[in-house]
Amino acid sequence: MREMDPSSGEPSAISRRSFLKGATQVAAAGGIIGAAPASEQDAEVEPEVETLSGSASMELLVNGKSRSVEVEPRTTLLHALRNEMKPPLTGTKEVCGTGSCGACTVLIDGQPAYSCLSLAVTCAGRPITTVEGFGSADAMSDVQQSFCDKDGMMCGFCTPGFVVATHAALDRAPKASLDELKYELSGNFCRCGTYPHVFDAAQAVQKDRARGEDGR
Amino acid sequence: MSRPTSRPAASDPSWGERSDLDVLNRDIPRVDGPVKATGEAVYTHDVRLPDMLWARVLVHPVPRAEIESIDLEAASEMPGVVHIEALKEPGDTVRYLGDDAVLAVVAAETPDQAADALGAIVVQAKRLAPVVTPEQALEEGAPVVSRRRKADSNVGRANERGDEAVADAALAGAVAVVERTFEIPIQHHVCLETHGHVVQPAPDNDQVTVYASTQSVSGTPRGLARTLGRDASKIRVLTPHMGGGFGSKFGPGLEGALAARVANVTGRPVHLMLTRADEFAIAGNRSGSRQNLKVGADSDGRLVGLKLEADKLGGVSGGSLPGPPYIYTVTDGAAVFSKIRSVHTATDGSRAMRAPGHPQASFAMEAAVDELAYLLGMDLVDIRIRNLESAVHHRQLRRVAEEIGWADHPNRDRPGAAVNGRAVGIGFGVSVWGPGGRSSRCDVTVRPDGSVVSATATQDLGTGARTYVAAIVAEELGLTVDMVEARIGDSDLPPSVTSGGSVTTGSSAPAIKDAAHKAREGLEALLTDVLEAPVGSYVWKDGRVSVRGDASRSLPWIAVCALLREPLLAQGEFRDFLHEGRIHGAQAAKVEVDTLTGRVKVLKMVTCQDQGLPLNRLALRSQINGGMVQALSYGLLEQRVFDEQDGFLLSDNLDLYKIAGSQEIPEMVALIDDEDERPSVCGMAEAPVIPGHSAIAGAIHNACGARLTRMPFTADNVLETLYGKI
Ligand code: FES
Ligand code: FES
Repeated sequence: MREMDPSSGEPSAISRRSFLKGATQVAAAGGIIGAAPASEQDAEVEPEVETLSGSASMELLVNGKSRSVEVEPRTTLLHALRNEMKPPLTGTKEVCGTGSCGACTVLIDGQPAYSCLSLAVTCAGRPITTVEGFGSADAMSDVQQSFCDKDGMMCGFCTPGFVVATHAALDRAPKASLDELKYELSGNFCRCGTYPHVFDAAQAVQKDRARGEDGR
Repeated sequence: MSRPTSRPAASDPSWGERSDLDVLNRDIPRVDGPVKATGEAVYTHDVRLPDMLWARVLVHPVPRAEIESIDLEAASEMPGVVHIEALKEPGDTVRYLGDDAVLAVVAAETPDQAADALGAIVVQAKRLAPVVTPEQALEEGAPVVSRRRKADSNVGRANERGDEAVADAALAGAVAVVERTFEIPIQHHVCLETHGHVVQPAPDNDQVTVYASTQSVSGTPRGLARTLGRDASKIRVLTPHMGGGFGSKFGPGLEGALAARVANVTGRPVHLMLTRADEFAIAGNRSGSRQNLKVGADSDGRLVGLKLEADKLGGVSGGSLPGPPYIYTVTDGAAVFSKIRSVHTATDGSRAMRAPGHPQASFAMEAAVDELAYLLGMDLVDIRIRNLESAVHHRQLRRVAEEIGWADHPNRDRPGAAVNGRAVGIGFGVSVWGPGGRSSRCDVTVRPDGSVVSATATQDLGTGARTYVAAIVAEELGLTVDMVEARIGDSDLPPSVTSGGSVTTGSSAPAIKDAAHKAREGLEALLTDVLEAPVGSYVWKDGRVSVRGDASRSLPWIAVCALLREPLLAQGEFRDFLHEGRIHGAQAAKVEVDTLTGRVKVLKMVTCQDQGLPLNRLALRSQINGGMVQALSYGLLEQRVFDEQDGFLLSDNLDLYKIAGSQEIPEMVALIDDEDERPSVCGMAEAPVIPGHSAIAGAIHNACGARLTRMPFTADNVLETLYGKI
């Protein structure tokens, strides 16, 4: 697959796979992936780049653990989590793959992000938290527990995304009003129509956390 | 819509007095909540097997074409490709955008390799006239796209009911008459988990395992038997969790058959889930319709005559629309005439979707009732009560009216007008459903160590089925829900019904109850020697059993189970006297219309819903909310868009096909109608999805006088209705 070089109007010599080669080299040299601009410049100086196929190995810092994955430059963080990690982390869901639905929400550097729109190579060295990182069925986070108590789920396919988004929302805006919560959660779709109970769950956590602070 | 027929005997199971219930009719957190909230729940999408192949299908981008060639050569040489197969040959035609447009299937070692190979297939095809709109389908000389054999046009046979002359005469004598043409678009199901399967093949005489995102665990083995070339008993279907169905996931479909075939051919597990774009193109929809409805009323607001001419728009399928008068009564039944036909386009066939046909019928009928009220200067609630037979609807309408603030609302018998570009209105709608129930089985096993398993094949679409599979047993045996393990989603377990038409609870719950009751009787038989009272004279409560009327003769649960030498297996079956056949609901919506921009904001929605004995009030409120949310989404946002010239489906993604998100959600009140004291249970998920968009349209009309006859209620639709085409 050839990409246009906007400056020349000609197909550029950089294919996705030659970009991969650059990333691989950087990874091999310094263990850091993500120096794409430099490798593109290199490629422009020397247009006859040999195209490599395949993937490169890199480390992702997921839920506090370093995990090694094989990725191509185009591999999204979502696919790296769901398909490349061993064992795979399938809590994060793919619903649209195009940044419309929020089912794939994770935290990158503590900020909520659509993992279907984040390339794995750009996440090297950055802490990633998935739904599995907040708790387990035996030891749930307060948000997860509240989703259960208030029935903030039906089929549950959107639920991991909502749980992560709710954690992020309550961290960013602990005292958010109901309207502000709706805004904070507006990046996530639920087809079953669980929203009212999701709002209940988020508000119950707000109350609990406020009570906890008062008690301290 | 079966009514309970056989009478229970004294020793038969019963749901008991509501005041005696410790588990049921309360808020029960769903038992699979923790695995869903932590991402541990494994859906079909999430199944990862050793050596698994990833399969994808290639869907032709436009509905009609003549295939000249499908060149697989380059694709088959792509890295990782293990199987590739064309489903059409040169000279074949693609007749519609749906399963007939699937041109090829590819399986590769990784999902990306499968996608790459799909992109390398070279298809040469001659595009044919698209026929994606009813206008195109009805044009003189239009290509025939109907799937009916020997069809010579795109119009199905009209179903006529009643005598047109009698209806006309009644309408001519009516004091008030309203006639409108309503246009209702198709709606996609948009299950967040797309359709698909993972098929794990097995040597000849072993069982094949199929993970399926299905509404029919017990039915799927039969659906795949032929493709897999073995008896259904040699196919085990697993659906531990599934991400939504709403009526679109009854059979394995072409995607299931292809997954099975590729697994057969390659001898390797195959993961084939549709992409979101595939899903919009070939995974079904709720049919649209065009309805010309004429209704007349006498001076008391009684409906006296009705005429409906309707086209159902179900793509290559028939579509659905119940006959008129929808829920309401016309005084003389002979004065109702209807003529309903299907108009076929070369688009994906409609499938069942939550209350098939009903929201479409509701939209036209509720609008007509509103308009008659205004013509006669009648209150919107009063005219409904006058024309609804069921006293249940009357009380429910009063209840939602109270909750929404009807008594203080200024425009109860005429539409209001905007003040400074702002107008607030209220609207109403009603629903009915006959959820029924049929044959289903359940096994309850009590072990000497006190553990209990309740098992039935059924699937949990998000309704909370898994939770009542445990809770019903807990109630009968005086245990807590966490003491009973629910096993579902496995075709090797006792068979259950396909989840369609809210039939699951009415079928499964009686079988679970029956099994639990038999287990209890089995345990009581052991106790006759120990506590010296006959079977049927024990109270099971709070983890103990005691003799009725003598609390001193009592044993804890664990001691009862210790009397067992081996596990006690109780097999339950459907008992019709334990299920309910008919449910009712009423809804109200309050909206604000900005008459300068045309923007509609829903401020509040209220539902009052009966359902016999509620098993789990928390999950019931979730279902009611879900119905309101989907109806709101249908009314305000959802719109399938085709490029009419070339036939491309433009809205094949969640950016262009909009569904409701959190910012559209108003205050929602889900009221369980506790005046319904029927001692039986049933499903109810269809009912609350039926009238919400009708109530919203009514509220828009009530706010500012704009009667929207076309969905969705977008800003341009509102402005055009208010001020005419610009
Ligand atoms: S899957 Fe990432 S936003 Fe939908
Ligand atoms: S719970 Fe089913 S999509 Fe949200």
